Amino acid sequence: MAKTEIRVGGLGGQGVILNASIIGKAASIYEGKHATLIQAFGPEARGSACSAQVTISTEDIAYPYVKHPDVLVLMSQDAYNQFAPSLKPGGLVLFEEELVTLDGRLPEGARAIGIPATRFAEELGRRLVLNIVMVGFFAGVTGLLSFESVQKAVKDSVPKGTEDLNMRALEKGFEYGREAAATK
Amino acid sequence: MAPQGYPHTLALRDGTKIQIAILKQEEGKALHAFYRALPEEDRMVLKEDVRLAAWSERFLAKVAEGSIICLVATVEGEVVAEGSLYRTFHGWTRHVGEVRLTVGPAWRRKGLGRALATGLVKIATDLGIEKIIARVVENQVAAFHIFQRLGFMKEAVLHRHVTDLSGTKRDLLILANDVSQIWSTMEAMVMDFEPGGGA
Repeated sequence: MAKTEIRVGGLGGQGVILNASIIGKAASIYEGKHATLIQAFGPEARGSACSAQVTISTEDIAYPYVKHPDVLVLMSQDAYNQFAPSLKPGGLVLFEEELVTLDGRLPEGARAIGIPATRFAEELGRRLVLNIVMVGFFAGVTGLLSFESVQKAVKDSVPKGTEDLNMRALEKGFEYGREAAATK
Repeated sequence: MAPQGYPHTLALRDGTKIQIAILKQEEGKALHAFYRALPEEDRMVLKEDVRLAAWSERFLAKVAEGSIICLVATVEGEVVAEGSLYRTFHGWTRHVGEVRLTVGPAWRRKGLGRALATGLVKIATDLGIEKIIARVVENQVAAFHIFQRLGFMKEAVLHRHVTDLSGTKRDLLILANDVSQIWSTMEAMVMDFEPGGGA
């Protein structure tokens, strides 16, 4: 059974939940897999810790909570500090490299790949699309989801009139992720 | 970042195929020739004397620095229409862009102005511009309808602000489109607060 457990962590206002839900949607609706999503919020609307747990599997998912993820997608230092020790040995950390500094708390054999996603989002015109850059990065590095599936899931999830910029954000993250996976 | 989707070919209502592209520096002469050929009544509504070489140099310099994004419509290399997005990188109107359109007399009422305006609004929103304005003289009915269909609304009227060739004073309408609304839903989506929670 192919099962991948993912935790997405960051700050409220970065689009953590949207990121996780697009990954889940791409897997379940557009690739015919099973997916679950659990989300956790801090008390504040912006700036507080926020995380989501996504499980993707080719078979039924009996337990949706993620204790030791295979993949961590991290967009804040707090999220890294909190979740890095929980990564499975040999797991993968995808992180926003201008917001997260790695240290020795990652388990043995962990592979970490960073992306300046906020800068890319700002260069594209809106910081808001940071989370979509990270979706593309996730798909590009892991190869768990096809570009077409995440493309459809993004189009399906974002508001009308914002599709073009979101698509460019997705492509940027995906291409960067593919190159990074091949070289790092 | 360069606007996406250009150049592309546009089929007008009468079937004519037009190329729409981002103006390149080397096309400055073709653009200037287009403006020099405009009849005087059309040139009167423009903000600057476009016959001057100095105007062309200033315009191209602004294109190079990115404060003007210019779409040109061409047929066999000849410019037949132009639309530009003007913006500033500094000051309290840096979130505002202005769209200006000029369509050659033989190419009007074919959907070309609307296509250019639509492209420029899209470019503006992609660049993060939150409000777009356009100025039309009260008797420029076609231009008014183009912008109205794109969501622009009359925001101000400068009475007797324009003098046409016959000496008649006309009202100048300032149309505005608050495109920040397009992104407000996205902003709400990335808030990451608990649905129904206290936030």
